Amino acid sequence: MQHEASIREPLILGNKSYHQATEDICRPVEGKANKYWWAAFIISVCTMLWGMGAIAYTIGTGIGTWGLNKTVGWAWDITNFVWWIGIGHAGTLISAILLLFRQKWRLSINRSAEAMTIFAVMCAGLFPIIHMGRPWLGYWVLPLPNQFGSLWVNFNSPLLWDVFAISTYFSVSLVFWYLGLIPDLATIRDRANGLRKKIYSILSFGWKGSAKDWSRYEEVSLILAGLSTPLVLSVHTIVSMDFATSLVPGWHTTIFPPYFVAGAIFSGFAMVLTLMLIARKVLNLEDYITVQHVELMNKIIILTGSIVGIAYITEFFMAWYSQVKYEQYAFINRAFGPYFWAYWAMMTCNVITPQLFWFKKIRTSLTATFIISIFVNIGMWFERFVIIVTSLHRDYLPSSWTMYSPTWVEIGIYLGTIGLFFTLFLLFARVFPVIALSELKTILKPTSAPKKEHHG
Amino acid sequence: MDKKVIKGVFADGDMLKEAVQELNEKGITIRNVYSPFPIHGIDKLLGIKPTRLSIAAFIYGATGTSMALLMMWFMMVSDWPMNIGGKPNFTLLQNLPAFIPITFEITVLFAAHGMVITFLLVSKILPGATAYVSHPRVTDDKLVIEVEMNQSDSHEQAAQIMKLHGAEEVLA
Amino acid sequence: MEKKYWKGLEELRNDAEFVKHKNNEFSELLPLDEIFTTKAENSTSTNRRDFLKFMGFGIAAATLAACETPVKKAIPYVVRPEEVNPGTPNYYASTYADGHDFCSILVKTREGRPIKVDGNDLCSLTKGGTSARVQASVLSLYDSGRLKTPTINGEEAAWAKVDQQITKELSDIAVAGGKVRILSSSIISPSTKAVIAEFVAKYPTTKHVTYDAVSHSAMITANEENFGKAVLPTYAFNKAELLVSVGADFLTNWISPIENSYQYAQKRKLDESKTMSRHIQIESMLSLTGSNADTRIRIAPGDVGATLLALYNKLGGSSSAPSFDAHEEVNKVAAELAAAKGKALLVCGSNDHAHQVLTNVINVLLESYGNTIDLDNPSYIRQGRDAEMTQLVNDMQGGEVKALIMYNTNPAYTLPTSMKFEDAIKKVGLTVSFADRADETASMAKYICPDHHYLESWNDAMPRAGILTLTQPTIAPIFKTRAAQESLLKWAGNDTNYYDYMRNQWRTNTYPTLQGAGTFESFWNQSLQNGIIEMDARPATFYTLQGDLSRHITSIVGNKKSEGIALVIYEKTGLGNGNQANNPWLQELPDPVTKITWDNYLCVSPAMAKEKGLRQGNVVEVKANGQTVKAPVVVQPGLHVNTVALAVGYGRTMAGKVANNIGANAYSMVSLVNGTFQMMAAAEVNKTLDADYALASTQTHHTMMGRALLKESTLAEYKQDARAGNPPVLIPVMEDHKQVGKAPKDVTLWAEHEFPNHHWGMSIDLNSCIGCGSCVVACSAENNVPVVGKDEVMRSREMHWMRIDRYYSSDADANDLKGMETASENPKVAFQPVMCQHCNHAPCETVCPVAATTHSHDGMNQMAYNRCVGTRYCANNCPFKVRRFNWFKYSDNDQFDYNMNDDLGKMVLNPDVVVRSRGVMEKCSLCVQRIQYSKLTAKKEKRKIRDGEINTACAQSCPTKAITFGDYNDKNSKLAASTVDERSYQLLEELDVRPNVLYKTKIRNINPNQA
Repeated sequence: MQHEASIREPLILGNKSYHQATEDICRPVEGKANKYWWAAFIISVCTMLWGMGAIAYTIGTGIGTWGLNKTVGWAWDITNFVWWIGIGHAGTLISAILLLFRQKWRLSINRSAEAMTIFAVMCAGLFPIIHMGRPWLGYWVLPLPNQFGSLWVNFNSPLLWDVFAISTYFSVSLVFWYLGLIPDLATIRDRANGLRKKIYSILSFGWKGSAKDWSRYEEVSLILAGLSTPLVLSVHTIVSMDFATSLVPGWHTTIFPPYFVAGAIFSGFAMVLTLMLIARKVLNLEDYITVQHVELMNKIIILTGSIVGIAYITEFFMAWYSQVKYEQYAFINRAFGPYFWAYWAMMTCNVITPQLFWFKKIRTSLTATFIISIFVNIGMWFERFVIIVTSLHRDYLPSSWTMYSPTWVEIGIYLGTIGLFFTLFLLFARVFPVIALSELKTILKPTSAPKKEHHG
Repeated sequence: MDKKVIKGVFADGDMLKEAVQELNEKGITIRNVYSPFPIHGIDKLLGIKPTRLSIAAFIYGATGTSMALLMMWFMMVSDWPMNIGGKPNFTLLQNLPAFIPITFEITVLFAAHGMVITFLLVSKILPGATAYVSHPRVTDDKLVIEVEMNQSDSHEQAAQIMKLHGAEEVLA
Repeated sequence: MEKKYWKGLEELRNDAEFVKHKNNEFSELLPLDEIFTTKAENSTSTNRRDFLKFMGFGIAAATLAACETPVKKAIPYVVRPEEVNPGTPNYYASTYADGHDFCSILVKTREGRPIKVDGNDLCSLTKGGTSARVQASVLSLYDSGRLKTPTINGEEAAWAKVDQQITKELSDIAVAGGKVRILSSSIISPSTKAVIAEFVAKYPTTKHVTYDAVSHSAMITANEENFGKAVLPTYAFNKAELLVSVGADFLTNWISPIENSYQYAQKRKLDESKTMSRHIQIESMLSLTGSNADTRIRIAPGDVGATLLALYNKLGGSSSAPSFDAHEEVNKVAAELAAAKGKALLVCGSNDHAHQVLTNVINVLLESYGNTIDLDNPSYIRQGRDAEMTQLVNDMQGGEVKALIMYNTNPAYTLPTSMKFEDAIKKVGLTVSFADRADETASMAKYICPDHHYLESWNDAMPRAGILTLTQPTIAPIFKTRAAQESLLKWAGNDTNYYDYMRNQWRTNTYPTLQGAGTFESFWNQSLQNGIIEMDARPATFYTLQGDLSRHITSIVGNKKSEGIALVIYEKTGLGNGNQANNPWLQELPDPVTKITWDNYLCVSPAMAKEKGLRQGNVVEVKANGQTVKAPVVVQPGLHVNTVALAVGYGRTMAGKVANNIGANAYSMVSLVNGTFQMMAAAEVNKTLDADYALASTQTHHTMMGRALLKESTLAEYKQDARAGNPPVLIPVMEDHKQVGKAPKDVTLWAEHEFPNHHWGMSIDLNSCIGCGSCVVACSAENNVPVVGKDEVMRSREMHWMRIDRYYSSDADANDLKGMETASENPKVAFQPVMCQHCNHAPCETVCPVAATTHSHDGMNQMAYNRCVGTRYCANNCPFKVRRFNWFKYSDNDQFDYNMNDDLGKMVLNPDVVVRSRGVMEKCSLCVQRIQYSKLTAKKEKRKIRDGEINTACAQSCPTKAITFGDYNDKNSKLAASTVDERSYQLLEELDVRPNVLYKTKIRNINPNQA
């Protein structure tokens, strides 16, 4: 329990009263959508529909509609999967880990960050299913008793670990997120009337905000945070094991778990920034998501970006140090082989651009941040592409070395998931408060109270 | 003989706490306190026992762990052991390394969901439950103390105390 | 009195209507007949009750029908033929002889349909070996492009009509004394010859002309001139210590490739004696034979004569030999030859009379006759005489030929355009073809009398003096076809069917020559069962030369032209002379050297490519002998600098849906020199402006990148140390603070699973593998591997369960990774068959989430197709990349219009192997169906499985016996023996995935003072 010195610059500007906060944050939910929202929404829905079409075509015709071949069995599908999962991680991280560290500044962003987590994981979860040759039998990865008698799943397979990791991660994040929503939904309920009131009173589970509820509620949130923290780390660790436990040169690396987790946080924060910077404009929440928040997140981006950069270099060092010629070739091939452009795109976006944040000017400039956050998103996509494709396309036997290039179907599916993601996020921004209102009030200094507030 | 409830509506947590303290000293029973956000330390004043949800969570987690291990042992080792990639699956122990990730995930799954469900049940926070709204703005910016007393005795004293401590209004 | 109940008032009233129907079940007639007459249906008379009846019936019917999915075309035997036993295969000994290849075979039939061709071990020529073409021939039986009935001017007709018309026309011609000609490729069937003789007797103006698409006429004429024997000799490659081939591709197409391959490999197998033959190939383009040579010398196609002269001079001859660029190396070869007198053999692929005479001369000087060449038991596999053919075409042009009967030949396609066969045939009145399809030639004939496919017909064959084989039908004729022999007999007025005719031939000619053969019946059945009878060969004798040389030498010197670009026309390993071009298995079989499928292309040497600025896929114009064809370029190391090469067999226009319009027809540019068709020509190559042409290659990277995947060494080193080129693989580990090397299998973490009964495995001798690809086709045939077509191969999605990796050596330094990607100008070539290695620590198994691929108790990595959900994780994690994914539905899909989308083509499918569905992973199963079958037989006979009893399709088809299948647990098995062989190694042993497939180092017999 720490005391907050009054000299520290406030996290929320404009010296808001509780009521103002309520007003500001409920406005997007209660008011009409502006034209930016509609424009964004329509575009997102269209891209989503295109993606759906591409998926239907794939399932109807076969994976052959993609650019894969006998040597490169995974490419965009798993690249996108890992990319989305990675993005998801920032949400949990912000709400869970920063909660444990009592970082108050998280309060302005954790709600939408968690929403982002959930939508990102939904997009991610799509890929393992549709990348199957026979997705309609996807449920076979569950340990179900079946007509074949003792035909169980293979618990040695990292892919199966994924199944459990992703589903646990998704459901727990969902619960965590919704639990946080309940009091705020109650707020909306009490401000609304008619049908809205009915709906929101169902959604708010009859929350009344009594002292006992609050004490239990806080306990639960704390423990959930405690559970989510190792969970979020485990998820990307397990995702990285899909590669680390294989014997493909360039995949078979013990550095992967930490490297992937760092990468995940890295890309996640970038995506949070991208969204927040849009949201604060569109939903005019400038007072709640301030330059200070942006700067703090940028600092985390420098940190994780640098970790990722070091990981890249370490990989190279280990390849050389291991004296395994296959490993060595895999990495030389990454940097100078046919896919060199992907490698250097990754290097520029992930290692070089974040270093610009060392300059306070850039760190605190919203435009610069926005651009760099986009760069990081691109860079992290390329990281996964580089890991997956350049490792596979030239592995052990030169006789089966090939090249890979995507078809419009794969590209369509990828854009489709982006469409899905933004569709969901925009809907979220219209029906749920994008900022954790009740939690936020704990750090507001009410104008009515002359005394300095304690954090009991 | 039924009870009478008067409500003191506050705008700030600290004032409310002071009011509560004084009411306690005067031996006036406080029925409940409602607020749009947690008031730290109020539970002590109201004598709310610390919740045991964390213990519940631990038990759920432990169940998860054992369930996971039991399932995997049954499927891979006992029911239908197969030679998969030459990996040893003769006993649970030999195969354990491969089981760790899923064991962990299922533990978390059980702990998290078990705890949350318990919480919702014990606090009667459920879909469709009708909310008791003590004050229209209790989920916005108003904090409410509900004091309970017999029909007979006057509520002046309680009202006095709450007013004194900055209650914006007192509703009988 | 008993009570009386009335059925109704009618009965009580006893009215007439009632009495009439009283005994019927229904008192009034059901209106069924109206209902079921169309009238009723159309009319609205159907009343409510009827409607309900319909509905009731409809629902009931629908429900019943829905109870189970109807079984498609399951027709049980009404009376089961006693030799057919459902579920168990029957084997029939037979012979594949198409006028190009000869092979004694066993045909595997299931429920009365041939599904697989295996080699016949009883044949001393082929020794149970086969070739890609022989393996694929079973699919040609089910080719939907075949003619279903005889045709007259393209119109379908009845046999009777055809016979009647042809006989009439023939007799008219005979009366008028017009010339009748029978044109055929080499006929090695004595009975067929007899039939033709009988026909000639009937129509005396008839002459039989033999013409081979790829001619060896010059050898025959040369032998006639030198030794008075107009035949091909038989060669003993297994006796030749030193084997020099000047442009003879004897391992794939030259005379009798299967036989040659077997003998060649025998002489190169290594045992305690540690000896093997030395093979020097002197050629212009990189042939499969050349790529197996220990030493390879590149000469310009025009320098064959000069080369022979050079050899001749060094070996004691004297002539004014013109010099040429590879002169020095050839002289060294001559020296080696001289040293190897009596144990050497020179073969020459040229079809130039002078060249072949010179070859004979040199072989005489080398005392090869009687040692490595046998002229006393000649080979009949090629009998074509180019002179006769040219004569025939002239006669046709002159209008002298009145009737032309064509059997198993396609001159309109295989003759050089300069011969103008198309015009010539128009001048012939009566043209009859026995072709099985309306191909380029048959379509121009008035009558097509389709012959049976060889699997439907009776025949015999004499590939070599003293060796007789039988062809027997394995299925009733699918279409209204008729044996060509039978047609000829009919027209000659003899109505006996060919089977009886042939049987009599044997009774009268063959049977008497054999002593102690018992009754004819027993002899006949015996021969039929074995498919072959061999009489003791005459002793091969030494030969001296007849006739003089000078004119040949002058002709060689006169013809020498090594300047400018020369085009070499060659036969591919898959398609050969192109008679089976419409066979998708052959089209999809990658060329062993270029690894390109589904296409014909111009091979260009890297040097020339650089000079002319050509890249792979550029389209060029090739001008030769007045012909111009367009072809895509393939930059092919190993070619002589000024040589370009184009294959025959492509550019078919009327072969069928598969083959039509693939590539250019190289036959059109064959030159006619000194009266023989020669497979080379002076050419002109110009780059065109056409867009680049995409080629489908199964291997896009050609060097080994300095990795020890295909281990090799030289004989000299091997004699020093049996482990030469195969040093033990060691993993550095720390033991009490010291680094020590440990074998991967000793660096392990856990206890092993046991293989109590069997532990199947395979050993592949890289020294024997010549890369011919018959195993690849055999595998496709045995395991229902789908054909995916050019586009899919272009996307690297070929489905072949086994492939043959081909690696070129590179001159680059081991650290220069970029440099190592390019092969050397004249690279050493090596072949490595790769199929699933059935690792005991299979990386693919561990990663499958649904346990669709697991390890069997007898050591096999097995794939449960039905369980597979298709994550492709296993394929990614397979270091050998042998797993194949069903990207699409390959059966019953018109996008893949090959053989699995029509009922006829599907008849070739092996019922023991499931046809995989879309979205599942598949791979080599070590022919598990065969293993299971043998296990069961052994069990029934209450015995253990004998070594060699089980054989995988690939091992069985191999002409060089490079693959050995066996049981590691059987300590006396051949396989167990090869585990201790110093040459044995596992692919990528350092990964410790413990493959069950072993490889044996390739040893090259390189002469230190000869590169």
